[in-house]
Amino acid sequence: MSGELMREEFPVQGRNFDKAGEVSSEIKVILKDLGIDAACLRRVVIVAFEAEMNVVMYADRGTVTLVLTDSDINLEVKDEGPGIPDIELAMQEGYSTASDEMREMGFGFGMGLSNMKKNADEFKLESEVGKGTSVFARIMLNAHA
Amino acid sequence: MPKLKHGFKIDPAKCEGRMYCMRTCPTHAIRVKDGKALLIPELCIDCGSCLQACPSKAISPTTITLSELDRYKFKVAVATPALYTQFGLNDTPAMVAHALLDLGFDAVWEYAADIELVDRAITHCVKKWPGPFPLISDSCPVIVRLIQVSYPSMIENIIPIEVPREIAGRELKRRYSQEKGLKPEEIAAIYITPCQAKSISILQPAEESKSYLDGAVAISEIYNDILYRLRKETKKVSGDTQEGLMDSGELFHWGNPEGEFPNLSPENFLPLTGLADIIKIFNDIERGRLTNIEFLECHACRGGCNGGNLTVENLYVARSKDLRLKAKMPKPPLEFEQEVARRFTTEDFSLRGSVKPRGLAKDMGDLRERVMRRKRAEDILKGLPLLNCGLCGAPSCKDHADDVAQDRTEISDCVFLSKARIDQLRKIYKKGPRAARP
Repeated sequence: MSGELMREEFPVQGRNFDKAGEVSSEIKVILKDLGIDAACLRRVVIVAFEAEMNVVMYADRGTVTLVLTDSDINLEVKDEGPGIPDIELAMQEGYSTASDEMREMGFGFGMGLSNMKKNADEFKLESEVGKGTSVFARIMLNAHA
Repeated sequence: MPKLKHGFKIDPAKCEGRMYCMRTCPTHAIRVKDGKALLIPELCIDCGSCLQACPSKAISPTTITLSELDRYKFKVAVATPALYTQFGLNDTPAMVAHALLDLGFDAVWEYAADIELVDRAITHCVKKWPGPFPLISDSCPVIVRLIQVSYPSMIENIIPIEVPREIAGRELKRRYSQEKGLKPEEIAAIYITPCQAKSISILQPAEESKSYLDGAVAISEIYNDILYRLRKETKKVSGDTQEGLMDSGELFHWGNPEGEFPNLSPENFLPLTGLADIIKIFNDIERGRLTNIEFLECHACRGGCNGGNLTVENLYVARSKDLRLKAKMPKPPLEFEQEVARRFTTEDFSLRGSVKPRGLAKDMGDLRERVMRRKRAEDILKGLPLLNCGLCGAPSCKDHADDVAQDRTEISDCVFLSKARIDQLRKIYKKGPRAARP
């Protein structure tokens, strides 16, 4: 991607449900400010929110990096969390390792990762147990932008 | 895009530049330059907050007056249910309707069937909707415009169903042109409105179609005339019924947001009023939450249309009247049910046209230019005090930075960056030591 226009990194604090969603809101404000087309914005924000929630639920800390190019929007999410032992299983709809507490708060229905994949044009997940997880998602900008 | 019309006008002769409107505007659509308020049309959502805030009474709604209706052969009033909550506890809807006839209307439209029909159409739509959820009601024009301006990614959540007042306009023109042998354009369908937003939705619908209604008269405009007639003629008209108008208390209420959609279970249906709360909920929806809610009924005015800014009675008294009217509401007669059932199968309730996001000035240019502009705005913001004092004429430092980055204004309008600006303000407002000198 030669035409990188913007790169911004946002820290995410793990286990802080009070502040959960702030990073994706910030990303939304930036992209809305840039006049990114509505359908594309919607997808980016959903992916960013799910990714941020995963960091908040499972990790101690993490980062969300927004990279904007001429043709696409990339989200890179890295965390220092427990890692995912079986990625294939984790990607299945409805599969969840969330605690009862998380579910009571309305999270952890096992739709997060699959929802991210569904809303991204390209989706990659890498994880090492005991170290952390990296998620990479690309959303193409519509032709007119 | 056609030139945007708005539900009010700012009179520069009356405007004293006191910035109340600028500070209250939820979409930051107002700037005060050279002591006068100016509107950025594409940002205005017609909520009317500025109308109420202005201490100089310089902002007035663009509704019409009754005398403008003389060119029509047959004038029909379509009254918002909120109208009936504005008068005394013993003033029945039938009495209010008679006062409207006495005022010069040839008929008062029985609105209940149209409301019931749209209610059914909404229930039907919600049940069949493939997503995205939640669906959002389109009856409040401010909400539709808020989504166009601030939540473009939620355009698809707006329910594609016509609002009851439009269905009423269509049906009354059909009915009276048949009954009276008139052309539809000789019949005026006039909405009695609780707010200026509905008048603008008639003049320029957000979905870019043509309204079936011909204009809106404000409740506040005819309030005194109605009140006078109610007090003068109470005895004469009570118990009387007019053709096409049901007995008092049978008018269904749309003005109050609660319990309007009995066919949707309460856990899947949220009624919301008040722009500030709605904005919070919309932020949640935008990041993909609340998808378990099927339908959000949103009214920008606190308390719904009973709290509209062109109503007269205070919201809480109006609401208590509303509850009383509802409690007295008898079961609808069989003919009503039959009429609704017949019309539901023969009429189309889907929204004509489509709602699109509004093109904003900051969206101009290619993406690279927009990123540069944003970076420029961020750099400018670093040099501003972040006090949001408003003396530059923008509601916040961030707005000032954005305006400068878009070449809409000079950075030196900030009093922290330029002493000359204070002198300029003293001159404009004729206050302070220099201005007091001869």
